[in-house]
Amino acid sequence: MDGFEVIAEGFARALQILLSGDQGILEITLLSLRVSLAATLLGAAFGIPIGFLVARKDFRGRSVVTTVINTLMGLPPVVVGLVVYLFLSVSGPLGFLRLLYTPEAMIIAQMILTFPVVCGITISSVLSLNPKLKETLVSLSAPPSWEARVLLNESKLGLITAIIAAFGAAISEVGAIMMVGGNLLGYTRALTTAIMLYTNMGEFATAIALGIILLLIAFGVNLFLTYLQMRSRVRRTT
Amino acid sequence: MPSLKDSRISVLVVVAIVVIAAILAIFYVNKPAAPQRLVIATTTSTADTGLLDHLKPYFDNRFGANMTWLYLGTGQALEVASRGDADVLLVHDRAREEAFVSSGNGTLRVTVMYNDFVIVGPPNDPAGARGTNATEAMIRIARAGADGNAAFVSRGDNSGTEALEKRLWADAGVSASGTWYVSTGSGMAPTIRVANERGGYTISDRGSFYKLRSTMNATLSLVVLCENDTSLLNPYSIILLNSTKHPNINSDLATNFLLFMVSRQGQSLIGNFTVDGRQLFFPVYGNPESIGLPSENATVTYLNSLLKSKGLE
Repeated sequence: MDGFEVIAEGFARALQILLSGDQGILEITLLSLRVSLAATLLGAAFGIPIGFLVARKDFRGRSVVTTVINTLMGLPPVVVGLVVYLFLSVSGPLGFLRLLYTPEAMIIAQMILTFPVVCGITISSVLSLNPKLKETLVSLSAPPSWEARVLLNESKLGLITAIIAAFGAAISEVGAIMMVGGNLLGYTRALTTAIMLYTNMGEFATAIALGIILLLIAFGVNLFLTYLQMRSRVRRTT
Repeated sequence: MPSLKDSRISVLVVVAIVVIAAILAIFYVNKPAAPQRLVIATTTSTADTGLLDHLKPYFDNRFGANMTWLYLGTGQALEVASRGDADVLLVHDRAREEAFVSSGNGTLRVTVMYNDFVIVGPPNDPAGARGTNATEAMIRIARAGADGNAAFVSRGDNSGTEALEKRLWADAGVSASGTWYVSTGSGMAPTIRVANERGGYTISDRGSFYKLRSTMNATLSLVVLCENDTSLLNPYSIILLNSTKHPNINSDLATNFLLFMVSRQGQSLIGNFTVDGRQLFFPVYGNPESIGLPSENATVTYLNSLLKSKGLE
């Protein structure tokens, strides 16, 4: 079959490209990793504390805040891309920062996507902790820092899940980083935007090679985090 | 309870550290790249054919710069540039280029090169467009389309190619609409691929079509049906942007890019760029009359003196 030949040949050439250790492909991969890891860590740096506070503090409008964060978990990347573009454009309110079409703009856009994911999952995992634990902490009149440490430690599994989900969303995302990164060669070209470009240009072998790398990264990071999950589960049961 | 107060403070300190670390992290990765970056807003054809990849090492070397480009349709490229988000324009839609300059967004426009458009379609050519002139081909495609025997795939992205397509429909006196008329809203290469999948007709600049043919080989079944018509000529211009309006743009490097492109070296680099042994772009700086365009003598004289004073000739 002619059609299958194209795909098979694409895979064969993709493997060749991967084994040749092409400098350009390495750059693209490193940029993708740098942007998505930074976005995930920043999203977690804000998402976990805020999620914890929302889950623990009783305040008016808490359910509204929770609903809004849960809704934002499904934020469409292209909308984020559009809004970040308009803000960072030289004619926009933050144009003086000159961040449009830079990796930093990509990190900002992806952070807006990862924050609600981490925040939402943190809220639900802290809320679902055994209520007796919270009662005990209250009866011991534990200081807030201690309380936070105990509760966050108990919801570790949920927090790791949150980070896996956020990283998965970031590394596979294309709409937002295309709009604010511009897919500039050697500067803001990431794995996903490069796959789009090479597919458009009909260079399917390179596109497949990048797709394989993307899958391997997602697999590797998940493997690592799952290992952490398993370890914390084992430790808890022993 | 002092311990409670202490821990509140410690929580605040932790939060502050996290926020500062986050900001530092952003600025850490924000360390400016050593070479100056030039952002060219250009059309998909100059990027997809590989012309800019071909020119980049020479330009970067000469000016210690890092040449990058946003490949958009001409309409989008002009829009991005008018917002000040790019440093220089390399586009192909004469009418809108002139409007852009006269509206005060651009300060100087000069024709640097040209190629031509071709009408491509399925090899069995159900509309009978092969070998006709462009206007006649459009009439026949529309007629076959209305009869349900052909499809036309349009860029639909406000690009220079779409502007030319609209002019051809107008010349042909055809209103292009109906189920036979498909609009992709994407760049040239994806549009050709859609036409290929659907066995439809489309208009492409010659460069993009042959480049795609060289990468897709036999999987691209479309063939050139209509070419070498003066109404299909495709001149490209470089436009310098108004730096008073957008003081942040890198106008020195933009000027250097323009001078590089019109210098003897730049023009010959454009001329000797080939794909599968075929020349895709033809240098035409200083002589737009040769392809039936109005003379640009005043601009050319000015640029030549600039080239001389910078020793770039």
